[in-house]
Amino acid sequence: MDLLDKLSILADAAKYDVSCSSSGSSRKNTPGGIGNGARTGICHSWSDDGRCISLLKILFTNYCIYNCTYCINRAGNERPRAAFTPRELADLTINFYRRNYIEGLFLSSAVLRNPDYTMEQLLKTVRILRKEYKFNGYIHLKAIPGADLSLIFEAGKYADRMSVNIELPTRQSLKMLAPEKDFTAILTPMKNIGQAIRQNQEEKKKYRKAGPFVPAGQSTQLIVGASPETDYQVLKVSENLYGQFNMRRIYYSAYVPVNKDSILPALKSPPLLREHRLYQADWLLRFYKFRADELLSEEKPDFDLELDPKANWALRHLEYFPVEINKADYELLLRVPGIGVKSARRIVTARRNGSLSYYDLEKFGTVLKRARYFITCQGKYYGGIPIREDLVKSRLLSAGDRQQLSLFSQE
Amino acid sequence: MDYFIYDGSFQGLLTAIYEAFYSKNQVGGILREDEYQPAFFANKIPVEADLQKSDQLYLAIKNKISPQSLRKIYYVFLSEKKETGLLIYHYLRLGFKIGRKIDSYLNHELVARLNQLSGKVSREAHLLKGLLRFRKIEGGVFYAPFEPDYNIITLLAAHFARRLADQDWLIHDKRRGLAAVYNREEWLLTDMVNLPDLRLTEEEKHYQRLWQSFYQHIAIEARKNPRLQVQNMPRRYWKYLIEK
Repeated sequence: MDLLDKLSILADAAKYDVSCSSSGSSRKNTPGGIGNGARTGICHSWSDDGRCISLLKILFTNYCIYNCTYCINRAGNERPRAAFTPRELADLTINFYRRNYIEGLFLSSAVLRNPDYTMEQLLKTVRILRKEYKFNGYIHLKAIPGADLSLIFEAGKYADRMSVNIELPTRQSLKMLAPEKDFTAILTPMKNIGQAIRQNQEEKKKYRKAGPFVPAGQSTQLIVGASPETDYQVLKVSENLYGQFNMRRIYYSAYVPVNKDSILPALKSPPLLREHRLYQADWLLRFYKFRADELLSEEKPDFDLELDPKANWALRHLEYFPVEINKADYELLLRVPGIGVKSARRIVTARRNGSLSYYDLEKFGTVLKRARYFITCQGKYYGGIPIREDLVKSRLLSAGDRQQLSLFSQE
Repeated sequence: MDYFIYDGSFQGLLTAIYEAFYSKNQVGGILREDEYQPAFFANKIPVEADLQKSDQLYLAIKNKISPQSLRKIYYVFLSEKKETGLLIYHYLRLGFKIGRKIDSYLNHELVARLNQLSGKVSREAHLLKGLLRFRKIEGGVFYAPFEPDYNIITLLAAHFARRLADQDWLIHDKRRGLAAVYNREEWLLTDMVNLPDLRLTEEEKHYQRLWQSFYQHIAIEARKNPRLQVQNMPRRYWKYLIEK
């Protein structure tokens, strides 16, 4: 089989992994070497689904010994199969990189023969890249659950980021949809990578020469909509992962019905808006100091599809509003719908030099379309309507989310 | 009113501003030759770039105001927008008065305008660090043509000199007739009129096909979203993409 066929098959098989971030690593180029990391990450193209292409996202192979119900590559599916050699894949990466197609490699794999064998192939590939080709671009590597930990630890020395996909948020769902996989076998490498990252950070404080270990942190992915969990359950899982496993990032993947099976839900289209809401909530956990329990509860376990989670929270807590822009602390500014991390920082910076007016906020690019209902500037309120839940809600709906909705709706 | 005319270079601009600081008359403009329109009562003063003066001002901005301000001023210069000379002049006058604190005066008219413009340039540079495409041509050089809105070729050259350090490359701004040429040791900026032999190697065609195929297969059909795609990647940048 020639390289073009292999690439087609194995890119196709990799596309359901949503992660493509290349941020978080500032690896330097070495003398005679090629490549470096860009701390903020760089997108190199956008595919027809609008998602950013940053890395050569590819499977080492799609031959698989498992038969997970939700997965396109499951053993029972009749589809073309292929496998690279480590050398082929390393050469492809370097040649794409030299033309600036990509920021680096995101290497994942189905499980060929057994987890150890598969992990060894991934390891060989990155060893060629880092050692032989002196490649210092970004590498995101999957840890294969069930592979020997020593293999996973060695891989961590070469990779910028590692990930183990949980895929299904609870033990029960995993058992139902992926009976050969074991929840503990997924959590074990995750836990160990998390600990090793923490340890490496400690070592780096003591000895400057300690080599890197997964400097851009670890991530994971959850499929949304293939199993019956509520948003509340999913978000609780995320919160725990961030807290316990030193997780940098969690991806949510709207379930795309790739297989037909009686135990899978029959969806007409992937639940993209639900996925979007989960991302918004995830951001609120990571950057806005929200807790999952503030956003959802047993009684109200799913996100409102009409309104984003932050606006929703604010409408249910009007007792905090309006907040005075010149007095509210940073944490409270972050809770204002429409004010993001950038705007909140700018407000805190600029008001050191004197009191800010509504017009001042506009001047440095604060978007006030939504925020105006929740703030005062120098004591003045610019919302123009009484702060009442029903009134503000109808304004927010007509102002903000309509455009978003159309981005996520299906034609 | 004095109008200082510079040669279009960053050194030239700094020299002109340096001279303007010592002007006894009101400063009406700091302009490139092509920006200047003769007017009554205008006192036109051509300024030749002077390395000593421009270096002196450069260091004064960096040390007495801030490195961030210096960077933003350079980016605004690269925008090639009208009136930027005068904007930078007024910004610097304020900066030398209040020092590094100027970076926090986000609501000040001058600071807001400078930040806005430098932000646009910085965003385009960031976008093109991703969208620039190199092609290996006969002779082994990697050639990357592009047509940016702003004059960002120096920003890209510095980036790729660190990144693609072990290959010969040539970045070509076709809109401005400028090229950055790199020989595995250093890069330099030059005018580019004559094109090199642009025939592609067989190897190059092979990798282009592979990339096109990857691009096709990585998209999820069920999530097709052309609107989001052009929002992230405006159509004017598609011309030199291999995959489009």
